Amino acid sequence: MSSSLSTYAPKKLQRRFENKEKEWIRSDNRGFLQCRPAFLKTGSGNAASGSAFAEFGSTKVIVSIFGPRESKKAMMYSDIGRLNCSVSLTTFATPVRSKAMMGFEQNEKDLSSMLYKALEGVIKLDTFPKTTVDVFALVLQSGGSDLSVIISCASLALADAGIQMYDLLTSVSVARVGNNLIIDPTNEEENEQDGNLTIAYMPSRNEVSQVTLTGEWSTGKINQAMEISVAACFKLGDVLRNILRESE
Amino acid sequence: MRDIDIVTDMMTSSEGESEGFAVEMEEEASRHIFPIHFYEKHLLESIRPDGRHLSHARHTTVAFGPVSTADGSALVKIGDTTMLAVIKLEVMTPFADTPDEGTIAVEFIMPPICSPLVRPGRPIEVATVISKQLSDAIKSSGMLNYKELSLVSEKAAWMAYLDIYCLNADGSLFDAADPTAEEEFIMDTVITLVLNSSGQLVSMYKPGGSVVAHISTFQDCFVLAKHRAKELMGIMNDAMQLMEED
Amino acid sequence: MSVELSFGEKNFIQGGIEQNLRADGRQRLDFRPMPIETGVIPQATGSARIRLGSTDVIVSVKAELGRPNSHHPGKGKVVIYVDCSSTVGPSFQGKKGEELSSELSTALQKCLLGGSGIDLSSLILVEGKLCWDLYIDGLILSSDGNLLDALGAAVKAALSNSLIPKVNILPDLAADEEPEVDIIDEEYTQIDTSSLPVIITLTKVGKQYIVDATLEEESQMSSAVSISLNRNGQICGLIKRGGAGLNPSVILDMISVAKHVSIRYIATLDSEISTAEASSAS
Repeated sequence: MSSSLSTYAPKKLQRRFENKEKEWIRSDNRGFLQCRPAFLKTGSGNAASGSAFAEFGSTKVIVSIFGPRESKKAMMYSDIGRLNCSVSLTTFATPVRSKAMMGFEQNEKDLSSMLYKALEGVIKLDTFPKTTVDVFALVLQSGGSDLSVIISCASLALADAGIQMYDLLTSVSVARVGNNLIIDPTNEEENEQDGNLTIAYMPSRNEVSQVTLTGEWSTGKINQAMEISVAACFKLGDVLRNILRESE
Repeated sequence: MRDIDIVTDMMTSSEGESEGFAVEMEEEASRHIFPIHFYEKHLLESIRPDGRHLSHARHTTVAFGPVSTADGSALVKIGDTTMLAVIKLEVMTPFADTPDEGTIAVEFIMPPICSPLVRPGRPIEVATVISKQLSDAIKSSGMLNYKELSLVSEKAAWMAYLDIYCLNADGSLFDAADPTAEEEFIMDTVITLVLNSSGQLVSMYKPGGSVVAHISTFQDCFVLAKHRAKELMGIMNDAMQLMEED
Repeated sequence: MSVELSFGEKNFIQGGIEQNLRADGRQRLDFRPMPIETGVIPQATGSARIRLGSTDVIVSVKAELGRPNSHHPGKGKVVIYVDCSSTVGPSFQGKKGEELSSELSTALQKCLLGGSGIDLSSLILVEGKLCWDLYIDGLILSSDGNLLDALGAAVKAALSNSLIPKVNILPDLAADEEPEVDIIDEEYTQIDTSSLPVIITLTKVGKQYIVDATLEEESQMSSAVSISLNRNGQICGLIKRGGAGLNPSVILDMISVAKHVSIRYIATLDSEISTAEASSAS
């Protein structure tokens, strides 16, 4: 019934960056190279083989892993396992009730395919032949850098489920606003950004499993952003490792 | 992974008689292979596999306001079953026959993360059923004063979207078939929203099934549910107080 | 895109790339010839067809009047969609075809629309009310690798070929009234495509990377990075395909190689487009 009824969310006033080139302070008073306060935890659900909850500022994500279990589709025999990733957003993830918003489903699809691309080279698919591992993510609240939080949370959940990986996967996002590079941007900052670099990185192997860059960049700025991201991923890797150690 | 273990158990001990090896088998394995037998044995002793008495509910916690993008939210955990109820307010034009009233739309969602039975893109039947039950229970309970949701007569009113996400569906299938669990579930979710509930029966639902319940059974259940509702009210009030103190 | 290769064939391709002499005689950073035809679909606002070896793609641009997005009242809209003809091969049919379509569409959007490649404010007619919407549709007719680069080049050619009608907007419009427009016959404006980036995909086979990979070469890749660059050498987008991880320094090296290659590539593309335009106008 709600679909036939047209409703709208009352608009909220948004702060704008007046001058991007000027020195400005991030709305949450963070330093440019400082991530939001994060909380990560494994095993938030027991119905799954493994699960994790991640909270970076107001971005909140739950990932559950199911399997390895029998592949549902009438698949041909395969000596390597199948990976299936699906990301969904709650209706209250964004300030405007999102189901009514254009591009909502597309966003879910894009996130799912990006998650798959980040994970496919990290999981040892040959350790579960003929079967499927399902990685399901639910974004409870979208507060910016969603993809990065989903990827890091998924890697934690996979480790919790005991799925073999080449390395823990960590992900961070760097936004370029004017000439400044800021790490782990919020939604508000993402709306104002001139460019974005998101990498998924395996710290022990020093390998990037997935990278996306948007906006116009000079080569020098990319090098700088890459350096910042890799350094942050290293730190995040240690954090994830500690959480796994403590949860044992 | 658990399932695979059991298969190997079955294969190594498949030579004995079913009655005989069930006793020797690990408790965990027998629970999976002979669930009815397993539960019957426990029920005879008036104790449930997790150590609870038959009429006792699992540990319950309530937390308000976990979702900051919403206009109201509550996280309820009963044992490992976790529900997140969220209210989001939007503006609508009121219906012609009720120009001074807003309304509420209720949806119960089981995302794929909550249970191995749910697959993406295919909504599970149970969710639709519970969605309808909840919606009926809330609308018929009179717990909401729709007039309070009016903004400008005939022009604008609040539409309250209530979305309840199941974050973790726990309970073996056996538990879910238990009518008290069903009732508790309804009452619990209703009460997360109403703060002045007087303990009156709002809605009763018995899913069709092979067992026909006697009226006396229902009466027993009702007493249990009422007791549980009181308990829940206590937990809710504590949580409310905590929130106000913050 | 399944290619069945014998052990010997695989060895030949990999060895050739290692020694900088590919199966078709090219060096690692050489493109195949890139003949372009423009104006192939008369009813479209603009169109172009590009062939790279046996890879064959068509892109059409359709301009329609629309309403600007409320968040960007001063900008028109551009939508890119790629369709895979199921006659191309088994991997273009059914669900696989849909996945490839959406992957290519998303990739093009990220690579071409991310920066200031198309000046969206030039598409505005009445602020907040009326604008041109450009619907860019790609169709893959046949595939022999490097689809994304070919599509990117075809989009650029089709946009260069596009003539957007001039319009008269009737004045005196009240605040909530829909503007009335009058399309002037035979008068057009062109879309400025000079800052539209090109896409260069570097495919990593063994330790080396190659441009403009054929289907056979793509089957031997460990990963591929598509980089979009504009005339000023700025990077306007970057995406990665393929499972294998890459060392960050390799990615940075790929960017500088792509930047180097792009100078020659943009020049070739420009001259091909102007040749095509000259012959379609005559």
